[in-house]
Amino acid sequence: MLTSRVISPSFLPLPPTASTSSSSFSSLRTILSPFLAKTQLSYTRTSRMASSLTARTAANKLENADELIDSVETFIFDCDGVIWKGDKLIEGVPETLDMLRSKGKRLVFVTNNSTKSRKQYGKKFETLGLSVNEEEIFASSFAAAAYLQSIDFPKDKKVYVIGEDGILKELELAGFQYLGGPTDGDKKIELKPGFLMEHDHNVGAVVVGFDRYFNYYKIQYGTLCIRENPGCLFIATNRDAVTHLTDAQEWAGGGSMVGAIRGSTQKEPLVVGKPSTFMMDYLSNKFGISKSQICMVGDRLDTDILFGQNGGCKTLLVLSGVTSLETLQSPDNSIQPDFYTSKIADFLSLKAATV
Amino acid sequence: MTNGGREALTPQAARSLVDSVDVFIFDCDGVIWKGDKLIEGVSEALHTLRSLGKKFVFLTNNSRKSRKQYAKKFSKLGMEINEDEIFTSSFAAAMYLKLNNFPTDKKVYVVGEEGIKEELKLVGYESIGGPEDGKKSIQLESSFFFDHDKSVGAVVVGLDQHFNYYKLQYANLCIRENPGCLFIATNRDSTGNLTSLQEWPGAGCMVSAVSCSVQKEPVVVGKPSTFLMDFLLERFRIDVSRMCMVGDRLDTDILFGHNAGCKTLLVLSGTLYQIIQWPAQLALAGVTTLPALLDPSNSIHPDSYANDMSHFVQLLSQ
Repeated sequence: MLTSRVISPSFLPLPPTASTSSSSFSSLRTILSPFLAKTQLSYTRTSRMASSLTARTAANKLENADELIDSVETFIFDCDGVIWKGDKLIEGVPETLDMLRSKGKRLVFVTNNSTKSRKQYGKKFETLGLSVNEEEIFASSFAAAAYLQSIDFPKDKKVYVIGEDGILKELELAGFQYLGGPTDGDKKIELKPGFLMEHDHNVGAVVVGFDRYFNYYKIQYGTLCIRENPGCLFIATNRDAVTHLTDAQEWAGGGSMVGAIRGSTQKEPLVVGKPSTFMMDYLSNKFGISKSQICMVGDRLDTDILFGQNGGCKTLLVLSGVTSLETLQSPDNSIQPDFYTSKIADFLSLKAATV
Repeated sequence: MTNGGREALTPQAARSLVDSVDVFIFDCDGVIWKGDKLIEGVSEALHTLRSLGKKFVFLTNNSRKSRKQYAKKFSKLGMEINEDEIFTSSFAAAMYLKLNNFPTDKKVYVVGEEGIKEELKLVGYESIGGPEDGKKSIQLESSFFFDHDKSVGAVVVGLDQHFNYYKLQYANLCIRENPGCLFIATNRDSTGNLTSLQEWPGAGCMVSAVSCSVQKEPVVVGKPSTFLMDFLLERFRIDVSRMCMVGDRLDTDILFGHNAGCKTLLVLSGTLYQIIQWPAQLALAGVTTLPALLDPSNSIHPDSYANDMSHFVQLLSQ
């Protein structure tokens, strides 16, 4: 049962700034500059929440794992690329988690993947032989429901879901009425003369996340709710560009679905998943821990590490997922974690030089 | 002109405009028709302008049809317009590839409808994707591998009512993995008057979806990019200041006019007769309403504005 808490909107994204186009088109643009206008598009494209604070020093390779472990009370782990890859556990994970627990550390798992509920993730952990409590798991599907709880979203209003089962389950658990979800994936529209698409005027929020059943019907339904229902919220579980549905390749992520709705409404969503600090605020409130006592461990700079930095905790990048050492050290990268290491099992092997 | 569009077109200004312009460039959705219905008074208005010796062309961001298919649509609505008087964003995408010597042994992946495929075919390019991929879905067992054609050298994204995850992922893989693969957007309109009764999501949605997953911005060939203006200048060989863009959207039609350096006239027929009138802030996202035009946060100002084509032409004789 979720407790209702008022969370200050410190997690809301910074005002979007226009970003410049990618350099890979720069040479083409030079050739074609007479044809391409300097388009001052009236809508703003959002940038990621860049840590534009002070220039950070380069990340340190993790040498003394014990020192890091002793300095914090809680470890927050991302899942894909840190604990598992697709359906396979990453080497050394069970032993590492056991060691941390034996040292009295609190373990929390925060994932932007909204396709499953906490309960369903609990089952995945169990199948992989890890003993993790449902209460220790925070998926962005849960975050969306928790956010609505925190603002006392009225129970007589509905939520339109562009997303999968995980979001529906969490909304149901929190006592919210919903429409949409996977079954709307079968709905087709025909742009025929005289056709008018109706929508439920009682929808007070549209939640958008990864949706493999995404289609034009849903885009229009979500757009109509956001534009025509007064005060309708536009909430994104996350904005990841790519996701690892299988471990063999990258797949277009939740950021695409969110991008489409931003495209039609030209509104920026409230983001509840990483790098927004909503989940960090939620769990630090829930467990009564201070941010300085936390270390965020993840494989992605623009979600995991930025999440940790925005939240004010320590950050450790692992190279067992999507980010390579080359990417971390590239001059194009401005996000520097406190530490980096190859995988979390390094906690077991990296010891202080002297005892 | 000093108030920059905050003033409605007056009879005098209308006459002055018509005297100073030889060619009118008309947007289609919301100016000439809405869905399959001709907007009232449009035929007569065009007839009047023709009798005054004015030439016109039609410039639409709607990529669903080819130029030939649009000529058929005009004909069905009782207007005889030649296909080379029509410029579509589907045509623009094909021309962009041609002018940049896109090799004919490479393929184009289309996230869009028939119009794009037809125009590509006309210039000799092979395309895959399009409406039939709308029926494809993905199976996600852990062993599943999504394959894609390595000879795709360009992805063209436009309005796609059959948009789905399969196409999004296909485009994602081509752009990310095929070296030098181009990412072209026909346009980025957020919405459009695809049927007469309401606005519908535009190409801007599909383009944003792909752009967000590949983390790259596309080359935009439709309005407000001035890519097509070069074709118009080539055709008429007059100074750009003697052209006037007539449209119903600030962020495509009017911005196109500003970027290209021609005159601009906004008509409100895109939203004037709509059932639901959105508040100004949200309306700036869609086809332009009067409140949105006059809202202080609006920074795009046409030279002037009128209710619709019929109103514009009536002012000439007042």
